[in-house]
Amino acid sequence: MAADLACLDDVAAGAAPVLRLYRWSPPALSLGRFQPETDVDVDACRGLGVEVVRRPTGGRALLHGGDLTYAVAMLRPPGAAGHVDALYGMLAAGLVAGLAELGVAAAIGGDRGPAGPVCFAAAQGADLRVGDRKLCGSAQVQRGAVVLQHGSVLLDRLPFDELDLLAPPAGDPAHDAREETRARLRAKSVTLTELGAPTDPGTVASALVTGFARTLDVEFDCTVRPGEGAQG
Amino acid sequence: MNFPEELRYSREHEWIRVEAGRGIVGITDYAQDALGDVVYVQLPDVGLEVIANASISEIESTKSVSEVFAPVTGKVVEVNTTLDDAPEQLNTDPYGAGWIFVVELAEPEQVDGLLDAAAYQAFLEE
Repeated sequence: MAADLACLDDVAAGAAPVLRLYRWSPPALSLGRFQPETDVDVDACRGLGVEVVRRPTGGRALLHGGDLTYAVAMLRPPGAAGHVDALYGMLAAGLVAGLAELGVAAAIGGDRGPAGPVCFAAAQGADLRVGDRKLCGSAQVQRGAVVLQHGSVLLDRLPFDELDLLAPPAGDPAHDAREETRARLRAKSVTLTELGAPTDPGTVASALVTGFARTLDVEFDCTVRPGEGAQG
Repeated sequence: MNFPEELRYSREHEWIRVEAGRGIVGITDYAQDALGDVVYVQLPDVGLEVIANASISEIESTKSVSEVFAPVTGKVVEVNTTLDDAPEQLNTDPYGAGWIFVVELAEPEQVDGLLDAAAYQAFLEE
């Protein structure tokens, strides 16, 4: 995610806009820009080989490893087209078109869920869902004339989830609210595997590139930058 | 949307109310509406020396993280710590309880270079 920010800095300095697609190895738990570190069970993360990183964007904890992450760094269009909602709409259109290439009919938006610590346990207005289940969560940071938006498309589930990596909530230890959140996470999210769609990361990445190219009317100069890992 | 006549406005969507050499600063009604529900306000440190148009803190909403810019040069002398527990005041009362910080003006004449309410509304319509 430091690489995403570096792309944003490059764009702010005059470089071309960037669409970056990547996966995570080892898995990593990303925290929102201001999410408290006390939300994390550090020992659990270490035990499961999960790195903890901080996103420059907002939102709640998200486990990377079963997802394909996208990042777009670009100049904000002038006027209303540069507003948060307009940018989400523009980039969501690219994601929807890309997912359609995979035979997935995704739609924009979702009901506001409770403000819990897990990103995929609730769909927000800028997310992509299939039916009432969240397939892609996105977040945005605006810095002056430039914007970075990144997000995750769920390909498959890992053997563990965010609830295994977060600290137990305060309160009655006999009533662990994490299990309720885990149930909501399962019920309110969906993966490409569960949809019977292609999950090969290269295939999904190509589909998203096609979707963005079509809806944004741009051609991409595709450059592979391997080896950034969880520090990426 | 509300833009009080007695305030001055920046093109980065902050307002400032000058009282006795100090400027109270917040974000405009337009800005809070564009951000959506504010969930966290990063307050600048008291004593911080700020420069006009420089980014000094960030606001997280349910939609994005966005910067707060200093509309004038000076020193931060007070911050609104009630926003720690009630950041939604930026949405519900952007020109009142949602103020963010107070700056001691180093160059009071900078305020004259900011937009009045009519000019700010014209800027929004560009």
